[in-house]
Amino acid sequence: MRKFLDYIIETVIFICGMLSIIFVVLIFSFLLKEGLSFFKDFSFIKFITNQFWYPNSKVPSFGILPLICGSVLVTLGACLIAVPIGVMSALFISEIAPKGVRDILKSLVELMAAIPSVVIGFVGMVTIVPLVKNIFNLPTGLSAFSGSIMLGFMAVPTIVTISEDAIRSVPWQYKEGALALGATNWQTLRRIVLKAAMPGIIAAIMLGIGRVIGETMAVMMITGNAAHVPHSIFDPVRTMTSTIATEMGETVRGGMHYKSLFAIGLVLFLITFIVNFIADLFLGKNKNL
Amino acid sequence: MIKLNPKLSQKLSYTVLFMATMLAIIPVLVIIFLIVKNGASSISWEFLTSMPRNGMRAGGILPAIVGTFSIVVCAIIITLPIGVCAAIYLNEYAKDNLLTRIIKLAIVNLAGIPSVVYGLFGLGIFVMFLKLGVSIIAGALTLSIMELPVIITTARGALNSVPQSFKEASLSLGVSRWQTIRYVVLPNALPGILTGAILSIARISGETAPILFTAAVFYVPNLPSSVFDQVMTLPYHLYLVSTQIPNMPMNIIYGTALVLMMMVLTMSFVAIFGRVYFRKHRKW
Amino acid sequence: MVDKIQIKNLSCYYNKKCVLDSLTINVVKNEILSVIGPANSGKTTFLRTLNRMSDLEVSFKRTGDVFLNEENIFYMNMEFLRKRVSMLFAMPIPLPMSIYNNIIYAPKRLGLVNKKPDMDILVEQSLKDASLWNDVKDRLHTSAMKMSGGQQQRLCIARILAINPEVILFDEPCSGLDPISTAKVEESMLELKRKYTILLVTNNVKQASRVSDRTAFFLMGKLIEVDKTEKLFISPKEKQTEDYITGRFG
Repeated sequence: MRKFLDYIIETVIFICGMLSIIFVVLIFSFLLKEGLSFFKDFSFIKFITNQFWYPNSKVPSFGILPLICGSVLVTLGACLIAVPIGVMSALFISEIAPKGVRDILKSLVELMAAIPSVVIGFVGMVTIVPLVKNIFNLPTGLSAFSGSIMLGFMAVPTIVTISEDAIRSVPWQYKEGALALGATNWQTLRRIVLKAAMPGIIAAIMLGIGRVIGETMAVMMITGNAAHVPHSIFDPVRTMTSTIATEMGETVRGGMHYKSLFAIGLVLFLITFIVNFIADLFLGKNKNL
Repeated sequence: MIKLNPKLSQKLSYTVLFMATMLAIIPVLVIIFLIVKNGASSISWEFLTSMPRNGMRAGGILPAIVGTFSIVVCAIIITLPIGVCAAIYLNEYAKDNLLTRIIKLAIVNLAGIPSVVYGLFGLGIFVMFLKLGVSIIAGALTLSIMELPVIITTARGALNSVPQSFKEASLSLGVSRWQTIRYVVLPNALPGILTGAILSIARISGETAPILFTAAVFYVPNLPSSVFDQVMTLPYHLYLVSTQIPNMPMNIIYGTALVLMMMVLTMSFVAIFGRVYFRKHRKW
Repeated sequence: MVDKIQIKNLSCYYNKKCVLDSLTINVVKNEILSVIGPANSGKTTFLRTLNRMSDLEVSFKRTGDVFLNEENIFYMNMEFLRKRVSMLFAMPIPLPMSIYNNIIYAPKRLGLVNKKPDMDILVEQSLKDASLWNDVKDRLHTSAMKMSGGQQQRLCIARILAINPEVILFDEPCSGLDPISTAKVEESMLELKRKYTILLVTNNVKQASRVSDRTAFFLMGKLIEVDKTEKLFISPKEKQTEDYITGRFG
């Protein structure tokens, strides 16, 4: 009886272990099914190269080029902010800050990750957006630029947490070796520690990028939601995520427009899959240091 | 280029690094400060316990609080046992082979899928295919899959913190593997698993995109009576009142944001302090 | 003299590296057999193979056979084997629970006792047999983690006695203990051999000479020599054995 119970429980445990694979496969095949049925009626090439997203006009056009441009622009802008701030704070927190405040600083940085993105979006709307409008004298502050700033700050905790782990896992012998040769602390940090921790830092940046690309609510509230190819970073843009979120409610279930949103979901899935895969490769590398 | 004295260049660089750290910290403090300062005045017993009136422009946010609470509780009830079992499998049973590597890759991947894609998936599978409709249960199922990788990762950490020697001691006495896990590993990993669960609850309370098409609606006149009801939720409500309704009184928006933020932050703090407490009072 | 355990041609590998090379030896019922040898001689691996604890490690491989009462242990149910051949580790490992629960944990899980009065009797008897009863009888329900190292190790012995095994494996049981605690553990070992068969792996050559009936000397994964303890210590057949016990290496 006892044996039999053990056996049942161990089977359940095994199934739960497999569930992650099952879910990933399920999500992917589901998106693929809906996406492929969309691409039967609208060519994939046209889907990613056409620059007009008019899903509701009489002759609908499902070109996601403007959405891709929106996502890329916002992501690039966010990276320009998040990468230097993130990596530098990780260095400061792990190597320079006095031991006593280290954990406090880290928790404060990570506090940002705990704030719901819709709250961040709202704060962005009432602070950054009017500020950007006035400073740059724009018709509206809802722009890729404002979005980049907010998303940049949202990506900082991801980058800090993972880079900090990477920096801290650099063996202390490396540092001692350099210091013994007469290098200053900073020279050691820059030339030895940073280099040794590089795979982990790259992984951190990749995961940060993944977070920015997938971010939905804040982006939707700040970037202005205009589906056209942007000419400058101060233009309003619309990302892939916010397109899905805003338009899903208005579509006819099972129609072209509905399916096109799943096709966008498929593209997003593939992008984040690749980004996370690369990050995982680098994280694996870091462990074999 | 002028070659700087190494001492001076160190000082300069450290200053820059310090400023970068401040830049990483200040925004979140500003956000919290802004919300608390502008939202505190609108928090009242009535705001927390009454229905919205006049097209959301007056009254309270009770249905949104109840809605968020019910979705999150359902989601954690679904995801916690699955996640803990998966963590037990990976830590205690899985061999170092291809299958295990695929599982780990799948977990990393699941963690990276954008939340709005989970929303799409939930809409397709739970709302339409399983015909659950837009409901608490559809939203909870969607969130539970999304939260699975996080639960697995924290549970694995908690399981790993139980010393290997305890397991060996139990096994060496002829106690079976599952019984060892059940009576030695799990009780000692429980505090870690629970704090992880609280952090997860905090995180999914603030999620909007996955429940956008699966559970949340603009307005419901009644509180939910079963898991098949549609609900209002706090994050979605905040999104609506801050972007979709013209002439919205600012204090209601700030009040909603404050309630949501405090809910999430309080739970995070409880989890973090719990973790510190259990680490200090560990029995070994 | 009855052979309790027969080991035939046992070889063990970690990551394909041979750590125990075609070992053939037997263990007699109710004797104390000591296994001595320098570090990396394979003696701990040998011990951990006898109750298949080494099977827990992924990189472990083995060939050959081990018979317990003429039954091959590698075809036996693993839990049943470990109940019969139990193990005391180098460091005392009390489980993070009360003294009482430490003793009763395994018997309860194995279904040996169910009723509260039986449990009380079992706890008392096991603690007495491990000569710990007088130290702890007033605080059975306090945490076992708060005991001294020597007491913890005797608690672990009591825990093993509670499941009434046939063979007890001691893996350097005194390496973390002070001389007085060591003496107490050795005392209980001599007491225990009346009922149980004991294998003792030790780094302490003197301990082997004090307690064991026979002693085996391992070197680099090979059994060099096994003989009556007095004989092995007074007139070893092999030069390497003599060098080791006289302290020339190891």
